[in-house]
Order: sequence, then structure tokens, then C-alpha cells
Amino acid sequence: MEEPKKKNYRLEVIIAILIALVSLTTALATWRTASLGSKAGDLIFKGLLDAVKRQAAANEDWRRAYQEAGYARDYLITIDGLIVQENSTDPASQEHAAQLRTYLLPGMESLATPLGTDPSYLTSQGWLDVQKRFDELEAQTPDLSSLNPLASFSLADTYFSEQRWLVVGTILIAVSLFWLGLSQLSHLRSRILILVLGVLVYGIGLVWSLGVEFVFFILRGGVM
Amino acid sequence: MNKSDISNPERGKTLVLVLTLLNTVLVASISALQVDANIRANQANRDSQFAAVQFTGSLIQTGARSDYDLNTYSVLISNTQEALVAEYSAMQQQSLDNQPGFEALTLESQIYQARADRVKSLSFLMNDPAYAPASDQESPNMTAYISDLNSISLELVQKQNDASDAYHRWNNKSDSYVAVLTVLAVAFFLLGVAQMTQPSLRFLFSLFAIGVISIGILWTLIVLIF
Repeated sequence: MEEPKKKNYRLEVIIAILIALVSLTTALATWRTASLGSKAGDLIFKGLLDAVKRQAAANEDWRRAYQEAGYARDYLITIDGLIVQENSTDPASQEHAAQLRTYLLPGMESLATPLGTDPSYLTSQGWLDVQKRFDELEAQTPDLSSLNPLASFSLADTYFSEQRWLVVGTILIAVSLFWLGLSQLSHLRSRILILVLGVLVYGIGLVWSLGVEFVFFILRGGVM
Repeated sequence: MNKSDISNPERGKTLVLVLTLLNTVLVASISALQVDANIRANQANRDSQFAAVQFTGSLIQTGARSDYDLNTYSVLISNTQEALVAEYSAMQQQSLDNQPGFEALTLESQIYQARADRVKSLSFLMNDPAYAPASDQESPNMTAYISDLNSISLELVQKQNDASDAYHRWNNKSDSYVAVLTVLAVAFFLLGVAQMTQPSLRFLFSLFAIGVISIGILWTLIVLIF
């Protein structure tokens, strides 16, 4: 009569230790799952901030490119009008043109540079290539190259995927905790069966979680 | 306590155990669904905000572009009209035998015409085959120009609206799963009470738990389908 009682007590101690271990693992797995969601959220926030910064720079570059195109247009049509005046036989008109060329045109030229002064900015159809100027302005902003919202979003997606898979492991570990708790309350014969079930589910959950961590660690480039 | 309760106090415990197992599996599955719905809601929310940022950029770009294109076209119109007016005035002066006036106005007309010719070559609206007029008497196809100009912005608005709708849909699903999990937690409580109590009450509590689990399953199916 004493032997089964002793055996039962020993089993109770083992189950209690197991429950403590599984509780700790559950807490760790839950923390890791939550931290993955948090990392993904941070990356989305960073990506959106980068997108706003990039778009603000692009907005300014479009505004500037079209402003320069306006200056270039005014400069080019002023030159063509001036050439007619210079080629006229009227001395007053020629003098007027000379004065304009000396005092007005340099200022207009500086504003119209490079769109109005470099022929490579004219498209084959004849109009000004504002897109080309915009691309140059974008390239001239060195900080923009480091802002890549899509890369942040893509990395956030890998964290979300990892979180999805890790939740399965966390749930299995949590379920095993429930079974271990139940085995503590049950009678000897069913207790062992439920205990084995709990340990089995815990093992599967643990291996699953570690596997998910390893796979996503490699997918994100490992230690590199 | 009735006689059967005293003779077999373990009666119905297997049923409670099976129900608990079923409830555990359900809770695990719905937890996974809730996390998935939450992730999808986050991704859709992000896409919606990203499209909104792109949309504002698109509006600024199209605004600057249309301002430049229409301004260039209006410079063309005003220079062409000035050239015509100067030319008519020169002819008028010629008919009045005012030779200096005729020459001055002819020169003025030539200046405006040179300006008009240059601005015409710079005009996107006058040169792009999609919008350019077939003859000098016609205007560019402004309807097609405006429509094409706004097409990207409209596409982005549509994308933003779709992502926003997806966000609300997944967020609602996520909230519903949390509610279902709460219902199933109640079932866990009922099953726990059933496990501890005497057999006659055990069946009653099990019955309540079955009812609550059924509600949870039905609710989950509704959330999954709609």
C-alpha cells in the first residue's frame, strides 16, 4: 500500500517540474511571438516614414523640374523673338535686341539651365524632357537611396510569416501545459497516459518552434 | 447525492475529457486564425497608407505637369493672337500709306510669330499624337489629356480604397475571433467545474459546455465564410 503512494508522489513531483518547465517555455514562446509582431510593426512604421520622406523629396523634385521647364520655355521663346529683332533692318529694334541680350538674357539663361541650354533635354518630338531632369534631381539627393520602404515592408512580411508559423508551436506548447495540468489532477492510470500525451505535444511544439526560428534565421541571411 | 453517484463517482469523466480535448483543439485553431487575421489586417493597413502616400505624390506631380502643359499652350495661343493682330494692323497701316507703321507692325508680328513657332514645338499638347489637333483650326484633345493625366491617381485611389476595405474586413474578423476565444474560455470553465463535481451535475455542466462550444463553432464558421 505504501509503494503505490510513494510512486504516486514521485510522479506528482515530476509533473510539477514539467509544468514549471513548460510554463517557462510557454512564456518564452509567447514573448518571442509577440516580439516578432512588434518587429514587423516597427518595420512597417519605418517603411511608411521612408515612403513619406521619399515622396516629399519626389514632390519637391517634380515641382522644381516643372519650374525649371517653365523658365527654359520662356528663355527659348525670348531668344527666338530676339533673333527676329536682331535680323531686322530697323536700327532701333536691333539696339533694343542688343540691350535685351546684354541685360535680360543672362539672368534668364541662368534660370533656364540646364533644360533650356542643353539640347539633350529636348525629346525627339520636340518638347522638353522633364522626366530626365526629374530623374537627375532624384539621383542628386544622396539620402534617398537609403530610403527603401518596399525593402522594409518585405522584411516585415518575413517577420509576419515567422510569427504565423511560431504561433502554431506556441499553441502546441500551451496545449501541452493544459494536458500536464490535467494529468496532475487525474488518477494514476489515466494520469500516465495524459502525461505522455502532454510531453509528446510539448516535444512537438518545442521542435516546431526551434525549427521555425532556424528556418527564418537562414532565410533572413543567417549571421551575415 | 443519488445512489449511482456514490457507486461510480468517475462516471462521465471520459466525456468531459473528450470535450476538453475538442475545446483545446478549437481554441488552438482559432488562436492561429486570429493571429493570421491580425497579420492580414496589419498588412492591408500598411498597403492602404502606402497607396495614400503615393496618391498625394501623384496629385502633386499631375498638378505641376498640367500647370506647365496648359501654361505652355496658353503662351502659344496668346503669341499666335498677338502675331495675327499685329499682322492685321500692319495691313491696315499699309492701306493708309503709313510705311513706317507698316514696317514696325510687320516686325512685331514676325517677333510674335517666331515666339509662337518655338512654343508650339515645345508644347506637349500640340505634338503628342494622342492629343495634337489634326489641323491648325482645331484645339488639342483636352478630354483625353485630362483623363490620361488623372488615370494613375485614380488607380492609386482605387488601390488605397481596396486595401482600406481589406483592412476593415480582416480587423473585424480578428475581433470576432477574440470574441469566440472568450466564449470558448467559458466552455473551459464549465468543463473544469464538470470535472470536479458529482456525476449527476457533471452531465448538466457538460451539456452547458457543449452548448457554448457549439456557439463558438457556429460563430467561427460565420466569420470564416463572410
